[in-house]
Amino acid sequence: MQIAVSGGKGGTGKSTVAINLAIVLKDYFDLTLADLDVEAPNDHLLLGVELSNEEPVELFMPRFDYEKCTRCRKCAEVCEEHAIITMRDGTPFLMPNLCSGCAACEIICPVPGAILPGKKLMGHTYLSETPYGFPLVTGRLLEGEERAMPIVSRAKKRAQSLGKKLLMVDTAAGTSNTVSKALEDSELIIAVAEPTPLGIHDGELILRLAELMNIPAVVVINRADLGNVGKVHEIAKKYGAEVIAEIPYSENIIRSYVDGKPIVLTNYPEAKLFREIASKVSEFLGGGK
Amino acid sequence: MQLVIASGKGGVGKSTVTASLLYLLKDEYRFVAVDADADAPNLDLLLGVERWEEERELIGAKVARINTESCIRCGICQERCPYDCIKVIDGNYVVSELTCEGCNVCGLVCPVPGTISLAEVRSGLVRKTMTRYGFPLISAQLDVGRPNSGKLVTEEKEWAKKLMDELGLEHMIVDSAAGIGCQVIASIGGADLTILVAEPTPASLSDVQRAYRVVQHFRQPAYLIINKANLNPGFTELEEWATDEDIPILGEIPYDRAVPESMSMLKPVVEVFPDSKVAEAMREIAERVKEEVIK
Repeated sequence: MQIAVSGGKGGTGKSTVAINLAIVLKDYFDLTLADLDVEAPNDHLLLGVELSNEEPVELFMPRFDYEKCTRCRKCAEVCEEHAIITMRDGTPFLMPNLCSGCAACEIICPVPGAILPGKKLMGHTYLSETPYGFPLVTGRLLEGEERAMPIVSRAKKRAQSLGKKLLMVDTAAGTSNTVSKALEDSELIIAVAEPTPLGIHDGELILRLAELMNIPAVVVINRADLGNVGKVHEIAKKYGAEVIAEIPYSENIIRSYVDGKPIVLTNYPEAKLFREIASKVSEFLGGGK
Repeated sequence: MQLVIASGKGGVGKSTVTASLLYLLKDEYRFVAVDADADAPNLDLLLGVERWEEERELIGAKVARINTESCIRCGICQERCPYDCIKVIDGNYVVSELTCEGCNVCGLVCPVPGTISLAEVRSGLVRKTMTRYGFPLISAQLDVGRPNSGKLVTEEKEWAKKLMDELGLEHMIVDSAAGIGCQVIASIGGADLTILVAEPTPASLSDVQRAYRVVQHFRQPAYLIINKANLNPGFTELEEWATDEDIPILGEIPYDRAVPESMSMLKPVVEVFPDSKVAEAMREIAERVKEEVIK
């Protein structure tokens, strides 16, 4: 089983909801948390753990054997990213920054051995133990690299390979195809939205993506007292998503956030809110142990 | 000159800071504003834009499609897809259009000619309008689940450059997306400098450090604005990092409820709450931007 925490807009509290939810849900399900916000992964900081068990994510990158290359230009023609340019005589050159690592050039090349498999480091995945009884898998894109997709894809696979009953993914902001890759195979999307015009606008985008992907969604309104909550309810209703919680702006949540101490484990009154969210999600998933 | 606002982490206040900065710079400088967060464009909301003067569709994303009539169900496409985008649904091989990157590897390995082809789809809209503040805004909206939002940003910047020529504008101010991926790289690439916005939390520090490495990659100068500065008293690591890296701190903005309230009014906080502490801090920052940053 898989569920996802997403939100459209950045900074709405996705990671805060994800880590607190994971801490409570692990009492119901054997679970893995996957931080698939590979451009800005923060779940480990909120959980107060170091990233460990690093594995590189390397992509194929063509290397040309110019002795064997017949200058047929097929590699350049097939490259959808236009990462291979050819000289007047057909000699190919790679612009590594544009290469997506898809290996289409190697597949099309008619001369065996003319394109050799090189490697390009795109980022890393990590598997960290947390003190809360569940593992955290994190994807992290290398600074200067553009393509988040291979990291999202690899980190998700690593998380899936742990074979736990429940996989909970925390996605990046936005609604691009890397977010849909993270959401894919979820049985439920928990959309964390803010009631500001910006949060409402972006929250609607994530609900639209959920609808397109045919995944049920529920909404958690964060900083509920800083805007027009009615508007969020309206949008949620339009997409058939239940609003399962309203979390007020809270100094206690901020304090727990900056201290790296999950709010759900404190005695602050807000802890109860997160436990309620967890019990609603667990109910949706049919209980657990 | 071309100036970018970036942060790494989302929700730290990039767009609210940008909106106020644009408001405070508009009387002295001639510029075009670009909202380069195509996934979640918000600058138009903060500037009260009600309609777009011109909208252009960007057809550019490609996705693979499998003809189930001629497909022999060999499964080679699924095996070779670098991003696991091909699923078997009701016995048919189907490409998930919301995750496909359009590389065409499936089409190349398919043994039955004509079964898999790339279809061009719309990746989104690029839009232009004149704001009520007298400067033009270019914005983009990625269609949900589409790749290549970096291309939308490149398209926006090209349109912005044309506008600069047409209207005789001197500067381009780009509000980038969260993260450090293609949209942010398309924003920072070709710019003259980047203003980083961060809040004093470990998560924001970690993410702004990553954004800074992208800026360094392009060998640009960077500046830092500390937002929600009173959020976490005692957290000095952000300032220490900036000092160690020789990144000038342009100012600190306190957290203030005037910010979400101004958002609801669809106006920059400096316009609607000029007496707030946030507005005061923003004006000081704008002065430093005028003196030290814009040349």
